[in-house]
Order: sequence, then C-alpha cells, then structure tokens
Amino acid sequence: MANRFLYTSSHSLLRSQLQPLASSALSHRCRGLNSAAAASSGISDTKAASSRPLTTREREFLERAIRVNQAGELGANLIYEGQYAVFKSDPRLRPLIRHMWDQEVHHLDTFNKLIAKHRIRPTAMRPLWNIAGYALGVGTALLGEKAAMACTEAVETEIGGHYNDQIRALLDMLKDDKELLKSGELRELIDTIRKFRDEELEHLDTAVEHDAKGADGYVILSTVIRGGCKAAIWISSRV
Amino acid sequence: MITTLRATPFRLATASKAISISTFCFPLHRRYHSYQHPPPTSPFTPAESAILSAALRHVPLHGFSTVALSLGARDVGYLDVSVNLIPRGVFDLVKYHLVTERLRLKISVDFRRLEQSDGAENLSVPAKIRVLCVERLKANLPIIHRWQEALGVMSLAENIPASVSELAKLSDEMWFLAGCDSHDMDWYTKRAALSGIYASTELFMTQDTSADFRDTWKFLDRRFSDVKSIENITSNIATWVDFTAHAFSNVLQSKNVRFRL
Repeated sequence: MANRFLYTSSHSLLRSQLQPLASSALSHRCRGLNSAAAASSGISDTKAASSRPLTTREREFLERAIRVNQAGELGANLIYEGQYAVFKSDPRLRPLIRHMWDQEVHHLDTFNKLIAKHRIRPTAMRPLWNIAGYALGVGTALLGEKAAMACTEAVETEIGGHYNDQIRALLDMLKDDKELLKSGELRELIDTIRKFRDEELEHLDTAVEHDAKGADGYVILSTVIRGGCKAAIWISSRV
Repeated sequence: MITTLRATPFRLATASKAISISTFCFPLHRRYHSYQHPPPTSPFTPAESAILSAALRHVPLHGFSTVALSLGARDVGYLDVSVNLIPRGVFDLVKYHLVTERLRLKISVDFRRLEQSDGAENLSVPAKIRVLCVERLKANLPIIHRWQEALGVMSLAENIPASVSELAKLSDEMWFLAGCDSHDMDWYTKRAALSGIYASTELFMTQDTSADFRDTWKFLDRRFSDVKSIENITSNIATWVDFTAHAFSNVLQSKNVRFRL
C-alpha cells in the first residue's frame, strides 16, 4: 500500500510538472475538455501566412514530434489489440480494454491526419513496431491480468512523460509569440497533445487501480518495457 | 562534358563537401509543412536565381555547359567570372531547372478547372498523378534535346545524392498535390514506385522521335499498368499471409491456447 501511495504521488508530480509553465493555473483536465472540440477535429484549415517563418530547428522538431507521436500511438493501439485478443472472453476486462483501445484509435487517427497534412514522412520502422507492439500486448496478457496492467502502466508512464516534454518544448518555442500562443496551428497541436496526455494518464490510473504493481516480477517487467519504449521513441523520431 | 572532366581534380574538395551535406539531408528528409507560417526561403540566392534562370534560356543552344552559365551571367549584368560564385557550376543549373519546375507544378496544374472542362466529376488520385507526370515531363520539352547532358551531370558520383533527393522531392510533391494521405508503409512504396516511373519515362522521352511524344505517353501508361499488377500480387500475398495466420491461431485454439486473432 505504501508503495502504491508513493507511486501515485510521483504520478501527480508528473501531471503537475507543467503547472508553472502553463499560462493559467486551471487544471489541465478542465482545459483539455474545453479544447476538446478544437482538438478532436485536430485539423482546421488555418490559412494566411502572416506568422513568422519557423526556423529549421523548429521545423525539424515538429517533424520529429509528429512522426514519433504517430509511431507511439500505433504501438499503443497494437498493445491493446494484442491484450484484447487474449481478454476478449473475460466479461470484466473486455469493456475496460476496449475503452482504452478506442481512445488510442482516436489518437492514432488524429496523428495519421497530421502526418498527411503536414507532409511528414511516417516512420520506416512501422513493420517492426507492428510485430513488437502486438507481441508485447499478447505476451503480457498471456502472463496474466496484472502483468498486462503493469505493461500498460510502464508504457503510459513513458508516453505521458514524452508528451509532457513535447508540450514543454512547444510552449518554450512560442514563449515570445503571444499571438501564436493564443491561436493557430501550433496552439492546436499543443491542445491535442495535452488532451491525449491526460487520456494516457487516465489509462495509467486505471492500470494502477487494477494492481499493476502486484504483477510477478513487476520491477523487471516495468524496467524492460520502459527501456523499450525509450528506445522506440528515440528510433522513431529519427528513422 | 569536357569542361567537367577538366575540372575534376579542382572539384574534389567541393565534391566531398557537397556529398556530406547532401547525405545529411538524404534521402527523404521532409520538414514540417505549415499552412500558417510562410515556407522557408528558396535554396538559391537572388543573384544565383537571376543568373541561373537567364542561363537556362541559353541551354537549348549551348547545352548544360559553362558557356550557357557565362552567357546567362552576362545577360543579367554580371561579369563572366561571377559564374564561379555558383558553388556547383553546371549541376546547379540542372538543379535550378529541377527545383523551379517542381515548384511550378502546384501553380500550373489546376485540378478543379480540369475537372470542369472534362466534365469529369472527381479525378481519382492515379488520374491526378498521371496529369502531374505529363505536366512535369512537358516542362522538359524546350530542352529535351539537351536533357541527356543534364542526366549525365546528375549521374556523376558527387551529384547522385542531390539528384536522387530531388527526384524523391518531386515524387513527394506529386503525391501531395494529388491529395494522397498515406501515413504508413504505402507512403514509401508509392513514392518509390512513382520515382521509378518518372525517371524511366524521362529517360525514354530523350530518345523519343514520335510526333508529339506519343510513344512517351504510351510508355508512361504501360509503367502505370505494371505497378497496378504488382499491387495485385502484393495484395494476394497479404491475403495468403492473413489466411495462414488465422489457420495457425485456429490450430492453437484446438490445443486449448486462449488466443484468437
């Protein structure tokens, strides 16, 4: 129990890391809901090339960010798909996995559209992620419910942290442009990532509620999966 | 070509530099395309653009050569010697043609007007790709009798990375203008296939003597139908793999493994 308490507090720390940077002190979840309409469409046609040109560095960052996010959501989809294949017959877990999977489908869909819209090359490692993601989902699910939840917890922790890093970098990029911070392409991207980050962290909560920490060999499982996620993020942003 | 050969030892240093820069952004380096922020500036400086566009007008007569470059420089009021400011000489002249014609596509091809004049409801993506290919190939018409020289310059070892990258950019541009929204491995196969089709048709066109390049357009259509038959083969293979995987999962289930695809 103490262990779990410790964990939850570190998790809320992750969530609040962004507080000082955010323009107001509203909870992120509220803001996520407010901007849900804008973010769910993900794509609005913003024309008028009046804003400042983006630097090469910024464009490179955006390119990498969207590519890696798409790859990440693809991986998440496949993990849930794999878990679902195993837990399909379990009346208790079936709706739970299905719900998380549906949210991931929406995330992937949004990033697919962004990839096409912003002419970003999708990751070339896709065939590998297809196999690895699905195998990870099926593998951990076959180890049992707790192992599957430990996998979800590890993956979502990494993704949550990764999205936080991106939001921080984007806010930093726009810190001198009040207009861009208010509306526009990049503002929409920030809102989208924020909303998705919150949903990923909900999955993390769900996993912890289902006793992810109680899995056999939790530490090994979690360390290996988190290491794998970090490597996948590093590779996908580049290749 | 003779001038290129003569300049070889002198050029080695610039060549190695050029390769390292090109490989850095090689092969398919696309950067975030924004609708709100202005696009990055042209890779050519205003002086370079002026000289190179003037030089292109001399290509039909003098070919892709330093002569054309010098005449171009003279036309826009620079000294002959200012041609040395153009880092890669003749190759930059070829590249200027490639880049400007690629960027011109989005202005010169208007699908909406085309659809209205043809009475077609909506052009399919392959139909749009064909229109774009033909349009781009037609942009080579004024210099087609000199284009083999350009292909020769492009195939020099030092220029290959930049040439391939330019071909990839052209095919990316065409798929984007045709409204393709691939976001998976299709993205790669589509671009690779179109690059192959375009490059081979362009080569064919340099030797085509038929009226109005009729043979070239036939050649282009044959290449497109080749790709279609390859697509059929791959989809057949995919169906077979899918079937086998399901059969395998059924075998597992008959052994009481809790797993279903």
